[in-house]
Amino acid sequence: MRETRLWSLHILVIPIIAVLLGAHFALMHYAPVFYGVSVEEARNFETMIERGKSVAQLVLYILLLAAGLYHGLYGMRGILRELPLTPALAKLVDWGILLFGLFIFALGTYVTWWTFSFKAGG
Amino acid sequence: MNSNKPTAYNNRLGLKGWVYAGRYTFERYLYLGHRLSGMGLIAYMVLHIIETANRMRGVEAWQGLMALFASWPFKIIEYLLFAAAVFHAMNGVRLLLTELGFFLGKPKEPVYPYSSSVMRHRPLTFVIMGLAALIIILGGSSLFFP
Amino acid sequence: MSDKTTTPREITFRLRRFNPETDSVPHWDSYALNVPDGMTVLEALHQLKAEQEPTLAWRSSCRMGVCGSCGMFINDLPMLACQTQVLHLGTDVVSVAPLPNYENVKDLVPNLEPLIEKHAAIKPFIIHTNSKEIDEPTGEFLQTAEERESISQFTHCIKCGLCLAACPTVATDPLFLGPQALAQAYRYTADNRDCGLHDRLEAIDIFHGPYQCHLAGACSQACPKGVDPAFAIQLLKRTLVLDSIGFGKKKSSLAKVMPLADVVKAIEEFAPPKRTV
Repeated sequence: MRETRLWSLHILVIPIIAVLLGAHFALMHYAPVFYGVSVEEARNFETMIERGKSVAQLVLYILLLAAGLYHGLYGMRGILRELPLTPALAKLVDWGILLFGLFIFALGTYVTWWTFSFKAGG
Repeated sequence: MNSNKPTAYNNRLGLKGWVYAGRYTFERYLYLGHRLSGMGLIAYMVLHIIETANRMRGVEAWQGLMALFASWPFKIIEYLLFAAAVFHAMNGVRLLLTELGFFLGKPKEPVYPYSSSVMRHRPLTFVIMGLAALIIILGGSSLFFP
Repeated sequence: MSDKTTTPREITFRLRRFNPETDSVPHWDSYALNVPDGMTVLEALHQLKAEQEPTLAWRSSCRMGVCGSCGMFINDLPMLACQTQVLHLGTDVVSVAPLPNYENVKDLVPNLEPLIEKHAAIKPFIIHTNSKEIDEPTGEFLQTAEERESISQFTHCIKCGLCLAACPTVATDPLFLGPQALAQAYRYTADNRDCGLHDRLEAIDIFHGPYQCHLAGACSQACPKGVDPAFAIQLLKRTLVLDSIGFGKKKSSLAKVMPLADVVKAIEEFAPPKRTV
């Protein structure tokens, strides 16, 4: 694939990260303003589960996961591939980063879905 | 084959070339900062995803973890992370604009003393870094002295 | 008041020495020399070789910043020895080493082959759809003053290789095309007589291409001719991104051919009146 497309995507996800990560920061650290609860209470199991039941939160967190992981792991791939690697090692870095990213994305998505569909006592 | 053939010395700087900015310009230090903060942030993101997955182990596991994160050492780590995120984001804005060719001026006949695109976008660099420093200080005061 | 940048005085030169036939690693030797105002590092090396160290090796030719042969790592920055005045460095000890990120052949001589190979890889020549006109020209390709100025500074590259010595990516990545070749890729791609971007994609739209430039700016600081390779690389990124989404150079914007007779007529129109005496 043309490197331009991979890099363009790395750039295109920046606004998504800026908005969603900014919102994530703000919601967690300014919980009294947004949720009417203290920062400590916002981290409680019950309030965390409560927040996770929103469809918007489900969708936006999965989007943030995808955007953040792509941006960060593309950057990490760049750093690793700038090392003097043999072609086999370079391939290993590419595939390793891709599979690692997919695994972490799957884990994050599963946890977000688990929270969304959580039933107390079930 | 002559085994006594003189061999050249490998003079590639290696990782020293990444981390030692020496007498180069300010922007080379920003390059290093962007790289280091980026690595820190992606490492944190992965750890954060794994750590928040602890919720699936039940209320006790989650509350225990949150109590640990409320302690002082973690507050300091959290602040360092915040500072890294702010620096990376603000410097990222500069890179986003300049890497797409904005704020660099127009190509023109070079006349000594030469001006470079790096120097031409320096006002932007200083404004952005000034803002980053301000946000990092304000964020620190609100985190440690709420 | 004494001025460190002009007062003639004794300067200690720390020169990095390496003889591939006897040494496995380089070492440093020091030499003292009385330096007058205006003496360049290259002139100092010549004097040291003539008076103190006849085995000292380096590469130089034109002595006037045109040939690009005498790039060296002077006081930890890549510079041309011929256009760096010793006293302007402002230090009583001046260190001179071969350019980093290249193989060190002997003493201060780097092997610039990778620079030339990467330069050749990006097809550094005009690629035009009208190849017949290139082979058997009937006139001149038109280029306005503005079109010329948009690439002019990038044409000043003398292939001295200082930019690769300064680049942090080249420090670890031997496959990275580097500031010189990438700047030249932009220089030709942006030329209104050229439509060769797609012919160059295989060489430049790769991992080791423009996106491994992270705008550290060191290449532009090092460039002795004001080429500003970092600038060209960012413009190349923009060109590639626009091309990938279908906003590449239009064939209609390519330079038109002006018949030779018209070229002569235009020259005559602007030429000064003929001398009669």
